[in-house]
Amino acid sequence: MNMVRLDKKKFGDFILELSVEHAVYAPGNTGGKTDFIPVSSEDEINLKTLVTDLSPKGIFFPHSEVLYEYDTEGIRVPEKEAGKPIAVWGMRGCDSRSLLMLNKVFGSAIQMPDNKNFQDPYWKEKYDSSVIFGSACNMPQSTCFCNWFGDGPHSREGMDVFVVDAGDHYLMEPVSDKGSNILGKLTCLTDSLEGDAEAALKLASEAESTMVPPMDVNGLGELLNDLYDEPVWEDISAKCINCGACTFSCPTCHCYDIQDEGKGSSGKRIRIWDSCMFPIFTMEASGHNPRALSSQRVRQRVMHKYSYFLEKYGDFLCTGCGRCITVCPVNLDIREVLKTINVYNRQGITNG
Amino acid sequence: MNTTNELRKSIKALIAEKKVDLFLAWEKGSLPLTATPLFVSTEDQADRAVFDVTCGNNLSIYFTKDRKQFANRKVGIAVKGCDARSVVLNILEKQIQRENVVIVGVPCDGVLDRKKVLAKTDGREVLELIDNGETVTVKGNGFDLLLNRNEILSSSCLACTYPDAQEYDVFIGDARGEVPNESRLKEIHDFQALSASERWDKTRNEYERCIRCYACRNVCPSCYCNVCFVDQNDPKWIGSTCDYTDTLIFHVIRNLHVAGRCVECGACQRACPMDIDLLMLNRKVAMEVKDRFGDIAGLDINGKPAMSDFREDEKQKFIMG
Repeated sequence: MNMVRLDKKKFGDFILELSVEHAVYAPGNTGGKTDFIPVSSEDEINLKTLVTDLSPKGIFFPHSEVLYEYDTEGIRVPEKEAGKPIAVWGMRGCDSRSLLMLNKVFGSAIQMPDNKNFQDPYWKEKYDSSVIFGSACNMPQSTCFCNWFGDGPHSREGMDVFVVDAGDHYLMEPVSDKGSNILGKLTCLTDSLEGDAEAALKLASEAESTMVPPMDVNGLGELLNDLYDEPVWEDISAKCINCGACTFSCPTCHCYDIQDEGKGSSGKRIRIWDSCMFPIFTMEASGHNPRALSSQRVRQRVMHKYSYFLEKYGDFLCTGCGRCITVCPVNLDIREVLKTINVYNRQGITNG
Repeated sequence: MNTTNELRKSIKALIAEKKVDLFLAWEKGSLPLTATPLFVSTEDQADRAVFDVTCGNNLSIYFTKDRKQFANRKVGIAVKGCDARSVVLNILEKQIQRENVVIVGVPCDGVLDRKKVLAKTDGREVLELIDNGETVTVKGNGFDLLLNRNEILSSSCLACTYPDAQEYDVFIGDARGEVPNESRLKEIHDFQALSASERWDKTRNEYERCIRCYACRNVCPSCYCNVCFVDQNDPKWIGSTCDYTDTLIFHVIRNLHVAGRCVECGACQRACPMDIDLLMLNRKVAMEVKDRFGDIAGLDINGKPAMSDFREDEKQKFIMG
């Protein structure tokens, strides 16, 4: 299937049509901030936002998710709310790529010791049936660094439909079979015109030209492993206050805690976002904490993203969306951290 | 007078004279709307220090964040009026010793709230900020705005009465003196005038957005418990979910725990990634403390924090009605 057009005047119809068979999520306002929220009409959607303040991971991996409820009768898994598959509108390339990374963990995690794959039913139920309408970035922000990881503002990885905002209309191109199917069904779309494909390419190259040249991340994983015991981590982490703003706004951070909330003979088991920045994250029952120091926790976050995940799943656990940079209360910029590590390594080699 | 230059000179002198081993200041951040904490231990590093409208961080958090780092070291710190009150509170609560701290006051005209700036630019990214004093210029792709300083100041600054450090060893430039700020409690009085259900709705609307990242707690100089009550899990006191019944109780308990200890610096509100109005309840409690006990947290180094003190004549509504 080829590129199709959606006239922006028909955007409202498009959302309504999509809503018939899907639970639609799109960037919307929550207080003064933006997040992916359930929408039923065009009015609820914030089309201006570039990178939403919160990432779309919460659609598939909510902050607090009841795994099951129990009482003396037995255990019950809560029913899925709308019962419809999820469709997401307006997801940037950095975010759609993050879902591919999360899917490596929740969709088919490699389990030790026998390397069997584990599939998380709560994630799979939502993610496998979802349709992602991606959104090309025509004007990347200064905090965007997706190009460090071989990506770009018009990346389409992890999307089912690639969407370009081309002024008074959107251009849509299927990326997956799921994408082709849904575009084939929607009636508010029209065929693309001559020159549409070129227009999209032009927007892509314009967007790419505004991005800051990337740092070379080749060999970053090994470099980090070499620097594991170096005192550089103390300097890097000195200003970190160990809150979870970075990990909770990150589209790829996925650590969680499981807690039971019970009263009398009934209760529920809940999966809740957790953060490696919190001291209690690694607190052991004995009272010993293997990551009692801030520097150890900051190192863990960096190692997980740029070394451990790479080793295990062949990809960095970072898409360069820049949320952690804008949200950090003390402006601890992950790009600066990685640059510091790079420079430190070079000095280490020079000094012998 | 250029505050930044004077601050650098002051830090250099303190280091050269070996009056401090380490100095806590701010430097230009990687983003135009925020400075970043700077740890100075050499004279060269002092040249990175700045002070302007972006220096919102209350640096006294670092005294209690990593006590080991500061043990047996003389530490200098640059402070705004509110930050100085945090240092004093830390001293009164015996977290640090007065003789180990060198306090350098800077003349403060208020610090910005990033969220207010972004509201002015309609969400467009700011690529450059120039602090002109009365006004602030922000520039980005296709816009160049001259904003009145008051339009973008943190709500804590708009309600500030004591912009100058009351306790200091060095004060740079001219103190502003006490600011008669008659309207400072207006927001709180307006809130109190609402009906109970309106107050509940407003409070719930704010706190139900909480994502439990604890940025508010971790930037707060008065929040330094070794183990915070939300982190205690044996027994577990409160739920960890994002349901408002859990988030509200976290914020209310924190609120009461910093009663008489909150210096109203606004760091919590500026740090909140969800733009929750955290100051409202904190300021309300501070107002109550002042009314009942005549105490303003961290203002008087010879005083005692309200909750650590008892005077026979103090007003106790629950007894005296």
